[in-house]
Amino acid sequence: MSDRSDDVLRELGQLAANVGPAITPARHLELLRSITSAAMSLFGAAACSLALFRENQEELEFYVASGEGADEVVGMRVPIGQGIAGFVVSSGQPIAIEDVSRDPRFAAAFAAGTGYIPRSILAMPLETEREMLGVIEVLDRRTRGGGLEGSGEMEMLSLFADQAALAIENSQVFSDLGRALFAAAGLVSADTELTQALEQVAATAPPPSAELAELAALFNRLALVGPDERRLATRIVAEVVAFLGARRWQR
Amino acid sequence: MAEIRPAWSEQFEPGRLRPVAALGLPGPISREWAWGGATGAGVKVAVIDSGIEASHPAVGGVAGGVILEYSPDSPEADEEGIVATLGPHEDLYGHGTACAAIIKKVAPECELYSVRVLGKKLTGKGIVFAGGLQWAIANGMNVVNLSLSTSKQDYFALFHDIVDDAYFHNVMLVSAINNVPSPSYPSQYAGVFSVAAHEGKDPLGFDYNPSPPVEFGAPGIDLEVAWQQASFIEATGNSFAAPHIAGVVAKILSKHPGLTPFQMKTILAALATNANVGG
Repeated sequence: MSDRSDDVLRELGQLAANVGPAITPARHLELLRSITSAAMSLFGAAACSLALFRENQEELEFYVASGEGADEVVGMRVPIGQGIAGFVVSSGQPIAIEDVSRDPRFAAAFAAGTGYIPRSILAMPLETEREMLGVIEVLDRRTRGGGLEGSGEMEMLSLFADQAALAIENSQVFSDLGRALFAAAGLVSADTELTQALEQVAATAPPPSAELAELAALFNRLALVGPDERRLATRIVAEVVAFLGARRWQR
Repeated sequence: MAEIRPAWSEQFEPGRLRPVAALGLPGPISREWAWGGATGAGVKVAVIDSGIEASHPAVGGVAGGVILEYSPDSPEADEEGIVATLGPHEDLYGHGTACAAIIKKVAPECELYSVRVLGKKLTGKGIVFAGGLQWAIANGMNVVNLSLSTSKQDYFALFHDIVDDAYFHNVMLVSAINNVPSPSYPSQYAGVFSVAAHEGKDPLGFDYNPSPPVEFGAPGIDLEVAWQQASFIEATGNSFAAPHIAGVVAKILSKHPGLTPFQMKTILAALATNANVGG
């Protein structure tokens, strides 16, 4: 490879690493928006929003929203140590509250954030068996009295929450891996091999990018060893995957 | 030749086996026999939650409390990374107060202990939940209300061990099952009293489900519950059903101390609304 193409590759890598996180979630955002608007119409609700953890695990950020106050709520951050959303992600328990205005602290905080005070909230954790991701909230639903009330509504929303949680988790793994690979590509030069670049990313990036970069570096090394060693490594990885699968079914 | 006995069998040798009080069950188990005149007095009930607002009119004080937080870098942290702060504290959300008030409504003279495990960050959450259960077992609680759960499979084994430990110490662990179809711990283990909401409103009315994991149904839909800053709200959730069963268990235990979890489940099953007996 010529020096010039090395430069182009490095610049492309840097560019992709910088803008990657911004462009990857485009389709993912569309999917989440379709989930919030579908939930909104199913429940005949005034609004539906979805908040995810920020990296510090101490705050939630409203990521997508449909309906009343949607523009104001997107980007709003709430500490998890207070409020309905905080309770739901901390406890892992869904909750429905019919008269939010009677909760003195919550109503004031909500109104200050969006200017819209809902009467009722139905909130469900977004969780996979691997991690808690955030919360989905349905505001002022009109299904009450329509045969869906009580636990029926919660079961219905939990189906949406499951879909959303899996979509978010997939997208996060994909963008973490992409970010790690792009960052490594940005470091490759005449003096730095891909393996070294990946190891450098592994040493400096926050988890889970670091773990994925380390894994990628190991695979890159494996590509350079003999067929017997590769077969051995494949067997070990296959055993680990089988073990994880077995553990999953032991619950 | 010396007699060879398998391990554990020596506990059943003549003269070694501790006599146990007969249950003294009446013909059909009745509500009058189970809790007639009982108030929950002398029974320690831990609410592992967001704290309890002790001054809330529907709570009427707590006997004690502790805040558990995950802070592995703190010099006061135990080997699990948990820092324990004894003493009074507020309720972060209102939820622990709601659970406490429901327990008090059913068993007005029980001793409430607030074990606050919910906090300002999510890191280490499962460890802190587990720490709350261990605190309750170590501090002689008779009943524990856990309206919390985790779906994280990493905690499967840890919670399994603690639930067994509670069972072997005769600690009645009442847990709200999650609403979602995926697994949640520890609410779906056989060693807990697993509870979901049913449509009824009678605080002493509950159902027994013979197809677990969820074994008991209690009020939890459109309930007026106590909340933060002396308020009340109308709310729905399995997390409000569990404290009804915790209250009933405390009430029965105050009249029949020393019951084991399986005996308690037998009594609850017999007194369930759908069991067609009692009275």
